Formats: sequence, C-alpha cells, structure tokens
Amino acid sequence: MALDYKIIGKPIPRLDGRSKVMGEARYGDDLSLPGMLYVKVVRSPHPNARIRSINTSRARGYPGVASVLTAHDIPGKNLMGPIIKDQPVLCGEVVRYVGDAVALVGAETEQAAEEALELIKVDYEILAPVLDPLKAMEPGAPGIHSGGNIGTHFKVRRGDVEAALRETAVVVENRFFYPRVEHAYMEPEVAVVAPEPGGGFTVWSSTQYPHLDREEVSRALGLPQSRVRVQQMMTGGGFGGKLNPHAQCCAALISWKTGRPAKIRYTREESLIASYKHHPYVIDMKLGANRQGKLLAVEATLVGNTGAYLMQGRAVITKSVTHVSGPYYIPNIKADAYAVYTNCVPCGAMRGYGVPQVTFALESLIDELAGRLSLDPVELRISNALDTTLPNATGQVIQASIPIKEMLGRAKLKVQSFKSLLQEAPPKGKLRGVGVGCSTRGIGSIRKASRSTAVVSLHADGSATVACGHVDLGQGSNTMMAQVAAEELGVDVDRIEVVTNDTAIAPDCESTSASRVTYVSGNAVRLAAAKTRQRVLEIAGQDLGCAPEDLRLMNGSVVYREQGVSLAELFSKHTFHNMTSVAEFLPDTVPLDPETGQGRPAGTFNFNVHVALVEVDEGTGQVRILRYVALTDVGRMINPLAVEGQVYGGMMMGLGSALMEEVNVENGVTNTSFATYLIPTTFDVPQELLIDVIEDPEPTGPFGAKGFSEGTLDPVGGTIANAVSNAIGIRVTRLPMTSERIHELLLQRSISSPSKRG
Amino acid sequence: MNEPGAIRLTINGRAVDISVSPNETLLEILRYRLGLAGTKMGCDTGECGACTVLLEGKAVNACLVLGVEVNGASVTTIEGLSSAGHLHPLQQAFIDHGAVQCGFCTPGMIMSAKSLLDESPNPTEEDTRLALAGNLCRCTGYVSIMKAVAAAGKVIRGGK
Repeated sequence: MALDYKIIGKPIPRLDGRSKVMGEARYGDDLSLPGMLYVKVVRSPHPNARIRSINTSRARGYPGVASVLTAHDIPGKNLMGPIIKDQPVLCGEVVRYVGDAVALVGAETEQAAEEALELIKVDYEILAPVLDPLKAMEPGAPGIHSGGNIGTHFKVRRGDVEAALRETAVVVENRFFYPRVEHAYMEPEVAVVAPEPGGGFTVWSSTQYPHLDREEVSRALGLPQSRVRVQQMMTGGGFGGKLNPHAQCCAALISWKTGRPAKIRYTREESLIASYKHHPYVIDMKLGANRQGKLLAVEATLVGNTGAYLMQGRAVITKSVTHVSGPYYIPNIKADAYAVYTNCVPCGAMRGYGVPQVTFALESLIDELAGRLSLDPVELRISNALDTTLPNATGQVIQASIPIKEMLGRAKLKVQSFKSLLQEAPPKGKLRGVGVGCSTRGIGSIRKASRSTAVVSLHADGSATVACGHVDLGQGSNTMMAQVAAEELGVDVDRIEVVTNDTAIAPDCESTSASRVTYVSGNAVRLAAAKTRQRVLEIAGQDLGCAPEDLRLMNGSVVYREQGVSLAELFSKHTFHNMTSVAEFLPDTVPLDPETGQGRPAGTFNFNVHVALVEVDEGTGQVRILRYVALTDVGRMINPLAVEGQVYGGMMMGLGSALMEEVNVENGVTNTSFATYLIPTTFDVPQELLIDVIEDPEPTGPFGAKGFSEGTLDPVGGTIANAVSNAIGIRVTRLPMTSERIHELLLQRSISSPSKRG
Repeated sequence: MNEPGAIRLTINGRAVDISVSPNETLLEILRYRLGLAGTKMGCDTGECGACTVLLEGKAVNACLVLGVEVNGASVTTIEGLSSAGHLHPLQQAFIDHGAVQCGFCTPGMIMSAKSLLDESPNPTEEDTRLALAGNLCRCTGYVSIMKAVAAAGKVIRGGK
C-alpha cells in the first residue's frame, strides 16, 4: 500500500548542496588557526624491519621546527585500532609495512616540516617480509605479530557438506581472486587539533566516526574522553576509509607537546601508500547441486590479506563468510574465512566489507552450474532464492521484504532484451555477452548489534534540532534525518537543524558504516521525533480536554479540529522552553555462534540484482559496458535523488574493481598516484546505465526503509565477470579484468579447446 | 631560499597584487594566500581535477600553474560564479539533479563544465564526457553530473 507522505519519498535537494556548489563548505584543509604548526610523518621505507635507533637531533635544530616526536614521547597509550589495539601510533621497535609511522615533525611551515623529515635518520635492521597471505598462514612462517599470522578465523557450519557433495549430480569449483582496492576519496586525510584552555583538546577532522577519533586521541594523550571534543569537518568522501584516526593522533601529539594548534594533511601519495585498503581475497569455493539445479552444498575457504594491522579485518571476514550462500538457500555449508597478517599495507573497512569478494565467487559458480546443467542462469537463481520460509547462511529466516524473486523476474526480461541485441552481429573484432549477478546483505554491523541514539528538540516556533552521531560523508544522511524529523513533526524540511558532527552534542551511534544509517539512526530519529510530538500532544490534550490521538502537530501549532494552539503558547503556559526527547533503536538480532556461525545478525536484508551487456575487444582485451541495469531493493525511498546517487556511485565504484583497480604491493604500494591507480572517469560510464528501484517495505524500518548503499556495489564484480565470461567463452576468475588479463585469456582460448576453463 | 616575485592577478574580476615564491602554484596562492578555499587540493599533481579554475577563460589544473608564469592573467574560481547570492545555472542544476554528494570534486567539476558550456553551449554527451574526463568523482558515478550539465546548458541557451 503506497502511503502518501509529505516529505518522505520526495526528491528534496540536499541541505548542504548550496554551500558545496558555492565553494563555501568547509573541509579540514580549509581551516587555519593562528600559530598553527604543520605536521609531517616519517614513514618506514621497509615492509619488515627492526628499529635500531632514531636520530632526530638535526631535525630538532632545523629552522622552523617546533617539535620532533617518537614513540617514547607519547604520554598515553601507543597502540590503536578499531577492533583490537595492534597498531602503534608511532613504531618504536618494529615496522611492519612500507608506510608505518615512525616519527613526527611539527614545524611553522609545511616546507620546513618536509625538509626536516629528511634529516631524521632511522637505523633499520631489514628483515625478510612476508607478503603472500597463503605463505603467511603456513606453519613456521615469520610472525607479523606475536600470536601468529591468523588474525581471525570465522566459520559457518550447517548440515553435512561432505555427504551432500558425494550425492550431488554436479559439483563446480574454482579459485577466485578479488583485488586490493583503494577507497580513493577525493579529499585526502586531514586533521587539525588545538589545545583548549583548561587542558582539553578540540579535533577538527575528515572522519566517518568522530567518537572514534575522540577515543583514540584521548588514549594517545592519556586523557579521559571528556577532555577531547571532535568536530567532523565537511568530509570529502569516506567509503569506509576514514575509520582509523591515525592522522588525528599525530596532530594531537604535536599539539599536546607544543601547546599550539597543529594540522596534518596527507599528500595523495602518502594516502595511497599508507592508508588502509579493501581486503584482497583468495577464495576457493565448491558448489554442488542436483540435476534439477537445486543447490545442495557449498564449501569455501576465504583468505583475506589484512596486511600489517587488523583494522576491521575481523568483521570483514566474518561478514563475507556469513554471506557465503548469498541470496540463496543452500542446506549444507562448510565455510572458513581468515584475516591473515602480512607485511603488506593494512586492509580494513571499505564499501562492501567482504561481500563483493564472496559474491564474485558465488555468482561465477552459479553461472558455471547453469552452464553444466544447461539451465537458464536466471531461472536457476529464482529456483534457489530465499523467501520468508528459508534460512540464509546463518540460519536466519528473514521475515519480510525479500523481493529477490520479483527482482530476478524483472532481470530475466532485461536479459532477454539484452540477448536480442546480441542477435545483431557485433562489430568486427568484438565479442559481446550478457551476465547477471545478485547479492544480499544484512544491514548493520556483523559482530555486534548496532544501537543508535537520537535527540530531538522541538522549539517554540515549530522548528527543531536533531542530534545524532552518524555523520554525513556525502551520502545525504543529514538530509535523511531532517526529512524523517520533518515528517514526524509536521514542518517543512528547512525548519530542521541536524547536528551530527560534534561529539559534545551528538550521541555516539558507532561508525557511519554498514549501510545502517537510514535503518538504525533513521529509526532513532523517527522515534525521538514521535516521542517529542506525543508529549506535546498529551499536554495539549489535557488543556483542550481531548485525546492526543485527536490532535495534530503542524507548522508549530497543535491543531484540534479548526482550532490551533501555538507551541509558544503551550510552552509558556507550562514549564517548557522546548520539548526534547531521546530515543534509541536497536535492531532485533541474535549474536553469531562462534562454532557454527549461526545466529540472527541483522534486522533487515537488502537484495540486489544487476544485469550487464558487455563488449570485449578481441585484439586488446578491453572491456566496455554497453548496457547495465541495477535492480535495487530499498524498502522505501526516503529521497529518490539520494537513492539514485548511491546506486550510480556504488555501481561505478564496483566497475572500478571489476575492470581497472588493483593496489599492487611489491614491498610497498607501487601505485602512488592517480596516474597508476586508475579509477573510473566519465569515459567509463556505460552507454546506458539504468536503475530499477524496488520498494517492498521493511516493517521494522523507518517508513519502511532499509539500507542499500553497499548493496549497490556488492554484485558488480560478479555481474560484469559473468558477462565477460559469456562473451569470451572462458570463466574469469580474477579481478580486475584489465585488458592484459582478458587478452591473455583470449590467447589461451585460441590455443586450447573452447570448453577449457581459465 | 626562494626569492619572492611580485605578480598581479585578476581574480573573479578583482585585481590582486601579491608577492609569490617561484615555486608557489596558483592553487596554493588561491587557497593559502588569498583565502579562496573553494578550489580544492585533491592530489596536487594534476591528476584529479579538483583544483580546476578558469585561466583566461580556459579550464586548467591550478596545481600545475606557477604563480610567476601567469602574471597579469585573469582567473575565475568557484567563488566567482554566483553573483549577489544568485547561483549560476550550473550550480543550480547540480543541486537540482543530485549531482553533489561529498562536494569535494564539485567546484572543479563545475568550472570544467563552465568551460565546456562557454565554448559549446549545446554539447553532445560525448563532448561532455570528454570535457569532464579530467575531473575524478568517487561518489556520484558521474551520471547525475552529466544530466546537470545538460540541464544547465538548456537554461543558458534560453530553455526552461
């Protein structure tokens, strides 16, 4: 039933759009404070080494240098990390990757700081690095940390995979490779820290989680969290990559030592080398089905290279293994996922968070299966798709809003129309193919339930302030919160002030990640606004002698039949100056059992089906996407403009991993600029890129909305790989599908028989 | 050390006299010397386009221009696009079409688009892709941006 909301579902222009198009929005590097020092970091040029000594004497004396710091100068704790504290703020004994931080310089100018860096002499005892995660897992491999190189192991066990595989009619298996991906936010890392009178500090940062900045900075300085205030500046993109406040800690240390403001600003090269990435995976997967195409068993080993420090690696591999059966019912599952330490650049959260990787493998094998059984690939997916009676990989039976079969039905029509285009002979030297990929994703954190808290304050003139700790990174969450509050409070969206960027005002809702802001914080805001409204209506009801249900809140007045009582009147009659309420939302979840991986980790699930028509140049191996359709399940659109933005953006980011992006590590990261780490440009947008939004309301979501922003990326690699495999007649098992790799596969195809699998 | 040189620039219609070091880029001058922070630094090596400004009416990466080599030149930045609070059709179109997300690429993207529309008031989609190919965006996937440019072009040409 389509409900007519005043503000929900409307394409409201984003609240900060005007300031951004005018160049007035203030990002971290736009902030300058009197007396501000510039901070630069000495970073290890070696992937594995012991530090024998650090000589800072010449740097200390250099003109313009105010401070040089090493590990033993840190007043608080010298270990940080979002899940476990395994990363030194400054390395004192060993360095574990090229880019590991060793010392800090604070100087009057950036130039002086850069020049002083050169004068700091670190004497390293170079050790042999371990860069291959499979080698790092072998017994006897040199340990990156004490406790061995397996940072995390998580598993899913259901039924009896060995028995099932013996009885299946067909088994397909392969080894798949998903690349290490760079977030490539357009704004590099930046933070400014200044001391406050009274001994505290304020941090202004580009961040996805100001409260984490507060936690880590206060730890490093040895202060209680209440002495550090963090204000998120306008943030130029995050995508999961601004969830480790190392830069913030560096600036804070210099500010602490000198008593002056300090700014750190990563160069793009520094960000490409040193900041954490999206986990590359090696996946061995085996899928078994009966002759009718019923999926019976999946066995998988997923190895994520988490690099020198765990970051969110534990959660990433848990997310991927608990999504090993995708949007299908597979009764027997034996899957193991590992986050493995190596001397590579660390890997952590990035949009997708383990699901793109496992989806690429699963969707490729589903197509393989369809081929072997001579079944239509879309029909095969439909016949195995989840519904409200079947358990997913963790044994959760999703109760509502599972439109996957309808979406696959629509996708089938798209496939047919794309295939009819294939009937036209392609241009000479080009091969064309069609592919489908689909995915599901539980919304929210995988390891523990996500609780959001929101405060809504209604003012006497009917305008309101919303305070909530999930921050806007460009995805439009502030506007979403304003829309939700405005709908509940009966005012226009421009009467809502949203404050999310200040730890002193906005409650901690954990990180802006996991596609959860609309679902969890949207709900918290809605509940707080509704609570506020209810309290006002109850008071007014007592005054007017009627039930609160007979009253409406509209534009700053309580309306009863034809009469209205203004909030100003109501407040002044009683003891209120405003009406403020707090509400929390916690999705209904059950933690995962560590032995079986079974549980109910999410309150809602998002589904995605993508279809691609690609063209491959036989001579060069270059892949072009001619047509692409993204069917996206959102529950309910809060804002169609924002929804479109997420689908186009996620799809193009996924296209990057599918076709061109790979962070290469030889000792350290070798793609040190955007000339060698290519991300999609306007030239890479498919000729036709369409979105089909499905609204099957999620009963537990705000106005029926659920999350979907990572879901827009999850199936892209698998979809394009299936289309390319269809075009060239060889199974693609490694992303990205650069021209070199496809060219290589085409050469193999011309040498060997057409049915050989690559 | 670096010896400063005196240059004159006309920024958004106003003449500015300033002493600059030989290695100071136009981007650094705009952002750190003249307080025009709307032009962004995304890579400082001419690869992302976030620092795009109009130099003598043509789109350039300000990080690749040295102040000392453009003495006497006129520069238009994002701050010079709107007048008295009235947005340029490109700015309005970017808002209306959801072409702004994190906003970091936005000033440079708009300046490149302006350069395109100044030269080609009715660009084809290919023209638009080419003109904007040097402006990286990680948020939007470019589709809304290209729609916004087409819509702005229509407004400028006198359509609705």
